[in-house]
Amino acid sequence: MDKYFIQKKDTAKFLDNLSRDYGVYVPYRIKGKEIPCDLNLKLPTDDYLLESWDRIKKEDFTFNEYRAIEPLRTFFAFPKERLRLDEEEKKAAIFGVKNCDLFSLKIQDFVFLDGEARDPFYERRRQNALLISGDCPSFKETCFCRSLDINPYPSEGFDINFSPLDENFLVDTGSQRGEEIIKSSGLFNHATPAQISRRDEKRNSVVKRLTEHLAFHQIPPKDVLQEIVRDGYESDVWREEASSCVECGGCNLSCDTCHCFLLSEDRLKDTNEKIRAWDACLYANFARVAGGANPLKRRYQRLRNRYLKKFDFFPDNIKLNACCGCGRCIDVCPGKIDIRRILRRLNEEKSVSAH
Amino acid sequence: MKKNPYQPIETNLIEVISESPVIKTFVLQPKEGFRFNTGQFIELSLNGTGEAPFTPSSDPNISKEIEVTIMNAGRLTAGLHQLKNGETLGIRGPYGKGYPLNEFKGKNILIVGGGVGLAPLRSLIYSLLADTSSFGKIYLCYGAKTPQDIIYKNQIQKWKRAIDIKISVDRADDDWKGNVGVVTTLLNDFKENLSNFISIVCGPPIMMKFTTYKLIDIGFKPSDIYLSMEKNMSCGLGKCGHCRMGRFYVCKDGPVFTFDKIKDMHDLWD
Ligand SMILES: Cc1cc2nc3c(=O)[nH]c(=O)nc-3n(C[C@H](O)[C@H](O)[C@H](O)COP(=O)(O)OP(=O)(O)OC[C@H]3O[C@@H](n4cnc5c(N)ncnc54)[C@H](O)[C@@H]3O)c2cc1C
Ligand code: SF4
Ligand code: SF4
Ligand code: FES
Repeated sequence: MDKYFIQKKDTAKFLDNLSRDYGVYVPYRIKGKEIPCDLNLKLPTDDYLLESWDRIKKEDFTFNEYRAIEPLRTFFAFPKERLRLDEEEKKAAIFGVKNCDLFSLKIQDFVFLDGEARDPFYERRRQNALLISGDCPSFKETCFCRSLDINPYPSEGFDINFSPLDENFLVDTGSQRGEEIIKSSGLFNHATPAQISRRDEKRNSVVKRLTEHLAFHQIPPKDVLQEIVRDGYESDVWREEASSCVECGGCNLSCDTCHCFLLSEDRLKDTNEKIRAWDACLYANFARVAGGANPLKRRYQRLRNRYLKKFDFFPDNIKLNACCGCGRCIDVCPGKIDIRRILRRLNEEKSVSAH
Repeated sequence: MKKNPYQPIETNLIEVISESPVIKTFVLQPKEGFRFNTGQFIELSLNGTGEAPFTPSSDPNISKEIEVTIMNAGRLTAGLHQLKNGETLGIRGPYGKGYPLNEFKGKNILIVGGGVGLAPLRSLIYSLLADTSSFGKIYLCYGAKTPQDIIYKNQIQKWKRAIDIKISVDRADDDWKGNVGVVTTLLNDFKENLSNFISIVCGPPIMMKFTTYKLIDIGFKPSDIYLSMEKNMSCGLGKCGHCRMGRFYVCKDGPVFTFDKIKDMHDLWD
């Protein structure tokens, strides 16, 4: 695959061209709530939503500095949908995907595409979608991808990747389809070695700043997470942290790597089609069975269950932690429950008990 | 077009058999071919009301009709209990791994059932009886709350020719001449040589817990005890995340597990 260069002013034309074949989504900037940074790094606080290109003013087009509010899975298994296969859908081209999102697709692909029962809804959208990712020239206070060895820039899993370079973009292609789209558009030049090395410098400097920021949070390395959630099963951390949970389910529903859903019936129409909606394991009835028995009756059990799913179940099954460090769950939680703090506390308890 | 794994097959309800005051057997005739292995489960739905997992209780070798034995335990099952012949239901599946009949070949088999847990075991018993020469001796210990709650009374009479059957009730009535006490009491005088034995248990969690400990007590190896685990389920396909138990999804990796695979899990019986 190759490296190209495009001027910012041509990007709108590129997206316009794409929207002939695709439903194009782009980042749309909204004012975010301020989250104070402990190290005074003056981190940006705005947020981004992925909006339809047709619905925003062209001058509002922006390159997102970090991941959007909605998790990428929103495009592949809709938050709520009627499961019928006969409806035509426009292919999606998603601009503004970040590397944390691309990592999360490994989890989602395992869930929806692995095994005998592939999910045809997910599969179709995933195959059709054009993933246009981008480097993160900055990060949010809550971003902690690097703690999980995930870089703030993509190196695989995209069709096309945009790296900001001054006002313009250096562009990598990551798939045959991406390559063809770039070539046929006539809007891209080949990148020069100087442009490539400047891009790499920028990437390294973001990693350096992010590493400094993360040092403050003392998040344990990714290889010990399974051990600390297992050994911390009886820890008081769960009860203490869960005491401010209001069971909104926001952590689950905003999460890039969560995937749980509930099938239900249509109560109005006389049909046996299923309706699928995202579910949240922090909800009280998530694990309830007939007669009212519930293995996850208490909030702390449900909070713990979320961590066991991410850092025990998934490593056991596919050797990956089901967390990409996107920090969405931290941003969203009204109870100020912070995954970085929980992992740090479990790790501290573990090292204390080891002495 | 690709197949939609969430779409149920329309199914006629052709007969409803009352088994006990709270348990009925539903005889279903799917409008498309439908086969299952014994111990696999299905998702049964009633339009506009809900869907839940049930294990067919009929002979898997009979494919035209499927029987499901269901206890009235809540919203959906109450709705099902009100149905009459001729209604249409939805059925998806079959799901899960079911009973590994090949592993049972040449072995003596102790089956322990509690309450409506006899439903999947009936399907198993039909499979065993269809091929008795492949298996050793078969024993059945069954516990019900009261004599009224004993299901499959007619079939049990017929099975007695081929199976050593003991039944216990928690609470007797005036006519009851048999054992009284929880089902584990039937195992007190189980004095067989266990070197070539397996045990298969299905019932409510508390019954499975005490039965498993009892079986270990009398000498069964954890790897020779087959348990049917019940968890909340939605998809049946290993996707919705509801039925996780440790590193397993009960719907996909189970619902039947040998005890050695799960014995170290936290809160196993909750
Ligand atoms: C593999 C398997 C096989 C089973 N086989 C049988 C059988 O052969 N016969 C039988 O009588 N029962 C069987 N059950 C139990 C049966 O699924 C429950 O009785 C049934 O789900 C109760 O539904 P309800 O709406 O009537 O109960 P309610 O208590 O009213 O349920 C209300 C809600 O609770 C939740 N819920 C409760 N139990 C379950 C569950 N097990 N799975 C998913 N959601 C649940 C759902 O959200 C449901 O909408 C089986 C369960 C499993 C997991
Ligand atoms: S976002 Fe916070 S308050 Fe809401 S369910 Fe998750 S942990 Fe609880
Ligand atoms: S657990 Fe939190 S940080 Fe990890 S992927 Fe989910 S939302 Fe992102
Ligand atoms: S029932 Fe959905 S994963 Fe098991």
